[in-house]
Amino acid sequence: MSSSAPVARRASALGPGLAALCVLLALVAFLSVTLGSRSIGLPEVLRALGGLDQDGSITSTVTLELRVPRTLLGVLVGAALGVAGAILQGVTRNPLADAGIMGVNSGAAVFVVIAITVLGVRGAEVYVWFAFAGAIAALVLVYAIASLGREGATPVKLALAGAAVTAGLVSVTSGIVMTDVDALNELRFWQVGSLAGRYAPILAGVAPFLVIALIASLGFGRALNGLALGDDMARGLGQRVTRTRTAAFAVVAVLAGAATAACGPIVFVGLVVPHLARFICGPDYRWILPYSMLLAPIVLLLADVLGRVVAAPDELQVGVVLGVLGAPAFVGIVRYGRLSEA
Amino acid sequence: MAATSTAPSAGAFRATRRRRAARSLVVTVSLAVAVVALFVLTMMVGSFRLGADEVVASVLHLRDDPSVDFVVRGLRLPTAASALAVGLALGAAGTIFQQLLRNPLASPDFVGINSGAGLAAITGIVLLQAGGLVVSGLALAGAAVAALLMYVLAWRDGVAGYRFILIGIGTTLFFDGLTGYMLTRAQLSDARQAMHWLTGSVGQAGDGELRLLLGAVLLLLPTAVLLQRQLRALELGDDTARALGIRTELGRAGLLATAVALTALAVAVAGPIVFVALVAGPIANRLLGPATGGIVPAALAGAALLLTADLIAVHLLPTPLPTGVVTGAVGAPYLLWLLATTNRQGAGG
Amino acid sequence: MTRLRAEGVTLGYDDQAIVTNLDVEIPDGRVTAIVGANACGKSTLLRGLARLLKPSHGAVYLDGKALNGMSTHDVARALGLLPQTPTAPDGITVADLVARGRYPHQGWFRRWTDRDDDAVSRALDATGTADLVDRPLRQLSGGQRQRVWVAMALAQDTDLLLLDEPTTYLDINHQVELLRLLRKLNAESGKTIVAVLHDLNLACRFSDHVIAMADGAVVAEGVPAAVITAELVEKVFGLACVVVPDPVAGTPMVVPS
Repeated sequence: MSSSAPVARRASALGPGLAALCVLLALVAFLSVTLGSRSIGLPEVLRALGGLDQDGSITSTVTLELRVPRTLLGVLVGAALGVAGAILQGVTRNPLADAGIMGVNSGAAVFVVIAITVLGVRGAEVYVWFAFAGAIAALVLVYAIASLGREGATPVKLALAGAAVTAGLVSVTSGIVMTDVDALNELRFWQVGSLAGRYAPILAGVAPFLVIALIASLGFGRALNGLALGDDMARGLGQRVTRTRTAAFAVVAVLAGAATAACGPIVFVGLVVPHLARFICGPDYRWILPYSMLLAPIVLLLADVLGRVVAAPDELQVGVVLGVLGAPAFVGIVRYGRLSEA
Repeated sequence: MAATSTAPSAGAFRATRRRRAARSLVVTVSLAVAVVALFVLTMMVGSFRLGADEVVASVLHLRDDPSVDFVVRGLRLPTAASALAVGLALGAAGTIFQQLLRNPLASPDFVGINSGAGLAAITGIVLLQAGGLVVSGLALAGAAVAALLMYVLAWRDGVAGYRFILIGIGTTLFFDGLTGYMLTRAQLSDARQAMHWLTGSVGQAGDGELRLLLGAVLLLLPTAVLLQRQLRALELGDDTARALGIRTELGRAGLLATAVALTALAVAVAGPIVFVALVAGPIANRLLGPATGGIVPAALAGAALLLTADLIAVHLLPTPLPTGVVTGAVGAPYLLWLLATTNRQGAGG
Repeated sequence: MTRLRAEGVTLGYDDQAIVTNLDVEIPDGRVTAIVGANACGKSTLLRGLARLLKPSHGAVYLDGKALNGMSTHDVARALGLLPQTPTAPDGITVADLVARGRYPHQGWFRRWTDRDDDAVSRALDATGTADLVDRPLRQLSGGQRQRVWVAMALAQDTDLLLLDEPTTYLDINHQVELLRLLRKLNAESGKTIVAVLHDLNLACRFSDHVIAMADGAVVAEGVPAAVITAELVEKVFGLACVVVPDPVAGTPMVVPS
């Protein structure tokens, strides 16, 4: 192919770009640890991390038990949402595919509420597992509905199926919480992703899933490049399309489910970040996936820090910040992206 | 000009057309009868049971019986009337949206309007401790702003249906996020009131809002019927519609405005009741057979649905729940079925 | 002076001109074919003639009046159009669809009349779709469906009929059937017909007048026998060929060399 030279040149620029993003992510993570209603300087952070300062001071407690787990959670969840969005968009060939649009949040919410009222469960550490299951259930349901029919999961069908399933699940949720005030109280805080300080146990719970799924997801680059040409073409190129799609979808379900379970509904990250990655590295999923994996946590942590700084001494939940900032980006994609009408 | 001699198949076509008109008339009249029957029935049942004759006599001021009048006119008529008006409005608005955007799922519940109203109303309840008329007014304003915002954002050399839907869904996510945030800011009691409002219930209407909605339905339903011709042409795509002499953007804007006004007023009165707007049109179409798409039958189907849902929510469930819980629980499975069947024909859009 | 003509029109999308400063006259009572390579502006010209696109310069005139100054309703009573990919709502029946072709003849309150019945029936008969009236459009074959769409445009009862690539997606049998139908309509009622066509040989065979376009300009126009030459095909399509007389009709036939 005559285009191999420019591709090679681009790869040589994209590699260092990836390294630069790693540095940027480290920087943002550092910001996230230090900034907040209580500012903590670099020396204190290092001392607390190095275990030199285990005197039980407030600073070291805040650092070790709140800021660091929160930041790590942000990195993992951000990476998960970014990659999940990129894979979903590739698998469905749908530039608007996103776990949030596909109803994971309402699915998680229903399961959490059922856990509270029916099973009498309490505590964020336990909700996580119910939210996880609910998110996966909703995702599978929405995708199954949207892919019925000849033309498969088109942007409009996927979005509408997501919206409709959400509406149905929300009315079930509200039916339950109307009769159980306690559940309502727990739900409304879970729903904006406020974990009220219990980061460490949740991180410990979801991290294994996220890390494994993230590593697995990086192997999908070539397969997604094939799928991008259409099922028939991919089959012609020797791919096992159904198997690839199922595997990719399973990874997405774990990523999005665990992310939603840990942080509550965070919309738009998974939608917008892959577009940003595609803008930087072109249509090659072997680059889009790692770029999404690094860009998304940067965006998420910045939004989190912004929420802490803007509303200090209170804080705006990261889901709210991203909702407000993400909506204009979504509108931009719909208006100016080359969406097929289907 | 073509010759004006009568074509050989003229009789056959005329017969087809007449058969269709007759069916449409029969369906419409039957639906109207069902709606009236349900309307009377909702006012008969309750802790104080009444006969149909007593209800009708009291509503029409034919007989004076203070105790019956108190129960009927004072307690039950407002709820029944609001279920009727909200159902009519949602049914008509839903079918207009679905036909205009050429998608059986594109009802106003899902594309931004309800969530705009929701955010405005919840903000009122939480921040201003508002209730009653203020909440309704805010909901109305929220729905109008959301609709206008979506129209402007989707406008790019005209409004394409699919772009309007996607923008609507993006707007919904945005508003819902902020609504969730508002709920965390609230006192628990306010949050409960807010959730109740968000679920939607025909029993919560005040007198003023109800009168406004009834007036609007009387004005807007005929408008919608007048615009039906535009709607049927727009269904064939913009090019064909223009070739048929329809001013497409004007027609679409008029139809959208009518549907949005009906939805907004319904939401202001009863909160965002889901699925009625989605389901009413398809049910009416199923009854109508080949002559689909009538706005009046869809409106009547909406009213019948909502009256039934209210009967179930208030009288058949162990604890009375907001109407929206019932419509949601019934609507979700129906929706899945709708998706499964229409998509199999490859028409799910 | 012909009824439909364009004078110095520039047409395009999003400020990007596709057809520039073009003059064209559509001969009355004839079948005109617009031909040209992909993306040469054929469909754009047709959309301009049908008032679907507003010219950024120049104007299209219908009976001497600028099309853009006329009311949509009046245009629709003089000029029918079949778009390239028309869309129909789910479950619509043939009767319902063809009846919608009568909209230009109805007003806000004007009811359906016997004249409407007549026009629809004539359109159904002319296109051979009368026995399909109760069938849903979706269940029809591609060829039947296209005839139904033509019937809808015919029910509009206009003297001018514009068709944008009406033979796309049809097999050769249905292509010929449709073009024969257009010829018949022209012969029986003197309708002026303009169609954008892909197949040069069919265009030569079934039209009286050919407009050949390249890069947004008219390269040649006239009777097929005079216009379609090997030089022109080379120039418009970049295809080396010989042009021989069609063995059946004697019209030009393009054979790649």
